[in-house]
Amino acid sequence: MSEKQLGKKVDRCLADGAIKLGTGLGLGIVFSVLFFKRHTWPISFGSGAGLGMAYANCQNDLRSHYLLHKSEKVGL
Amino acid sequence: MAARILPVLKLATKVTIAGGALYVAVDYGLLGSSEQGSQALEKAKAAIPPALEEWMKYFGVELPTMPKIEFSPVESWNSGVRWTISSLSEAPTKASDYTNQGIQYLKDLTK
Repeated sequence: MSEKQLGKKVDRCLADGAIKLGTGLGLGIVFSVLFFKRHTWPISFGSGAGLGMAYANCQNDLRSHYLLHKSEKVGL
Repeated sequence: MAARILPVLKLATKVTIAGGALYVAVDYGLLGSSEQGSQALEKAKAAIPPALEEWMKYFGVELPTMPKIEFSPVESWNSGVRWTISSLSEAPTKASDYTNQGIQYLKDLTK
């Protein structure tokens, strides 16, 4: 993976992390206010789930360079 | 009869609101892959200035214009890294030079 590609991937990871953290926070707040009597744990759960999703996406993105994909033909 | 329907109605409203929030989040690609997420961030950043102007016109309040900051943290960090590594690589040579100079100076003193 060239340095430029790596830089772009890291940029995407960070942007994606910010988006998912915000989304998780927002959804956590919505659910906390509506269903869980304004407890704090849905908010932390949502933000944590968002961060976890971003981490998994980033992991897959960085690994995809070294994996063979279905469309490639391998000579035996 | 209204007293019996009210809890059901409340629950239905809550479920609608929560479901709507979830649908909006999934529809905008906020919970998808990295590319979708970064595209959503770009769209949001591009949509902020017009929205901010709309709000300012609505409230009639003029926010002071943000001063154009010419400072780029990425450039500063990169130049800092380059400076550190180059000084680390030159450090042994410079140390030996200074030591030799010091020794010469002391020799000259004792002559």
